[in-house]
Amino acid sequence: MRRLRVPALLSAAAALVVAGAALAGSQGSGSAQAKVKVALVLPCPTNDGSWCQQAFVAAKQLQKEGLIDLSYTSNAPQDTAGASQVIERYAANGAQLVIADSAWQDAAFAAAKKFPKVPIVYAGGGKVGGNVSTFEEPIYQPAYLAGILAAGITKTKVVGALAAFDIPLCHAQAVAFIKGAQSVDAGIKGVTSYVGDWNDVAKGKNAALALASQKADVFTVCGGGPASGLISALKEKNLSGFGYVGNQNGLAPKQMVGSLVYNLYPIFKAIVQDVANGKYKGKDYDLGLQSFKLMLNPKYSVARIPQKSLAKEKQVASSILAGSFKVPYVIK
Amino acid sequence: MNWSDIVGLGLFASGLQLAMPTALAAVGEAFSERAGVLNLGLEGMMLGGALAAFAADYHSGSAAVGVLAGVGVGVLLGALKAFLSVTLKTEQVINGIVLVIFVQGVTAFAYERLFGSAGTQPEIPALQTVRVPGLASVPWVGPVVFEQNVLFYVSLALVPAVWLLLQRTSFGLAVRAVGESPAAADSVAVRVDLVRWLALLVCGAMAGFAGAVLVIGDVTLFGTNVTAGRGWVAVALVIFGRWNPLIVFGGALLFGITDALQLRIQAASGGSNSAVPFEVFQALPYVLTLAVMVLATVAQRRSAQPAALGIPFRKEVIE
Repeated sequence: MRRLRVPALLSAAAALVVAGAALAGSQGSGSAQAKVKVALVLPCPTNDGSWCQQAFVAAKQLQKEGLIDLSYTSNAPQDTAGASQVIERYAANGAQLVIADSAWQDAAFAAAKKFPKVPIVYAGGGKVGGNVSTFEEPIYQPAYLAGILAAGITKTKVVGALAAFDIPLCHAQAVAFIKGAQSVDAGIKGVTSYVGDWNDVAKGKNAALALASQKADVFTVCGGGPASGLISALKEKNLSGFGYVGNQNGLAPKQMVGSLVYNLYPIFKAIVQDVANGKYKGKDYDLGLQSFKLMLNPKYSVARIPQKSLAKEKQVASSILAGSFKVPYVIK
Repeated sequence: MNWSDIVGLGLFASGLQLAMPTALAAVGEAFSERAGVLNLGLEGMMLGGALAAFAADYHSGSAAVGVLAGVGVGVLLGALKAFLSVTLKTEQVINGIVLVIFVQGVTAFAYERLFGSAGTQPEIPALQTVRVPGLASVPWVGPVVFEQNVLFYVSLALVPAVWLLLQRTSFGLAVRAVGESPAAADSVAVRVDLVRWLALLVCGAMAGFAGAVLVIGDVTLFGTNVTAGRGWVAVALVIFGRWNPLIVFGGALLFGITDALQLRIQAASGGSNSAVPFEVFQALPYVLTLAVMVLATVAQRRSAQPAALGIPFRKEVIE
């Protein structure tokens, strides 16, 4: 990697000021919005079937709609120093918005110190301030809805939650799933298992089989590797489960009840519009169930889900969206 | 807690499957280390083999082609490691770690390029379970060992084959000789560098095969770092197994079954409300193998490490 020289930094900063002025000007004249130059930084490949793919697809959609000019880096280094370097390079080269799609809070603030004028957004919630924002990943909300359906599907009255690590994201998801099931039938038992790795598919499968040996027959999962492992186990034992982050329904059409799908399009759009309108400031973008949805699998025999459960799921979903019901968010 | 659910036949069947890729890689590593070359690139060789096996199986529709591709890439990476360690005589710890980082980067990049257009995650078909006639009906052992897929049986056969190659052939004798005393071996016209090259090719082949067994025989897909550190565990298991391929294999099985066991104990022990943090269970296989290793070393009272391990051979020229 070539080192940026001071003059280059200065000219980049100057370019930013000019660009900012131009943006303010176009806003004032009320003409058509200029495209926002967005840089997307991803810690994984764009086809990971999970977090990175969902973010990439959402950004591509905004590009297609003519709202943004997109440049991106996939497989970016995950450590703070490495990630902040990538963010800073984009900030120096005229990006008007850098979306750093991982829990890169420290990297975002490190980059913001050098480029305080550039909006930088990181994923997963946390500290905000200056031009640094974050967006939430409320997977626990659709997990609660999945739990309601699981209560109708389970024959053994045991539901399973499988996760990579006992971190807040996964813990809240597991608890919400079990609580959702118990909201229908208080006699349902929840069992959980942690794999200890984000990528280990084989161990994830083994952990799912371990939960199945404790009679669990409907599952939720947290973590890309464990999710792939769960799908493999579901097919082997013909049990039911819910996909993770991406739409995984097609990977086991007969066993997947649905997927907890992360839709970043409304989040990215809200941020991009704030930048375009000059209203952007560091804040926590939380779109709740609008961004994390339960997407049912039409190929999963709907007959296996009682009508009663489907009706209750719909009703609770609309109360969540209306704000009259809050899904319990339980972390360790 | 219902212990019969935890320690059932299912535990051993799935534990063996979980253990096999690590076991194969560890046996390969033992072979390379007996020749005096420390191969810390093992994790990379497994990962490279895993992607090659997956891609070849996916595009050809044949598991056999996939396995060959996995072994092929393993051998190529073995050759790279041999070139760095034996021919150029660079520092073995460093070049091994560099090899892992290199392959992690290349596989992440290549997977994105090769399968970038696919909408959903690409998958390959699972292998059929093959019941071995007669043996599968043996109580206890049958359902655990003889109701597996064909790659599992090939793996089982490979382990004693590697042991025989090391202990009962002249090539094996040369391997052991260059690992213990390369100067002595050289004095009786053993070509030290050639033997070390070949040992690394065997190790690469085993690691590549291990990667293929993981993706074709078990998980049926590829993901970033799908090997998840198995190569590093395998390197440690070689020390555990005192550089004897059979004990190394046994150690890998012990590790894998304990790992499967801790997952089951977790599942049975109250889940997300458990008072015991899950990391305690996670540590179980590591604690157990460490304990066995310490006990075995104390009991044997001497190190089994090949004397020339990690030291490049430079022929002394006497004028």
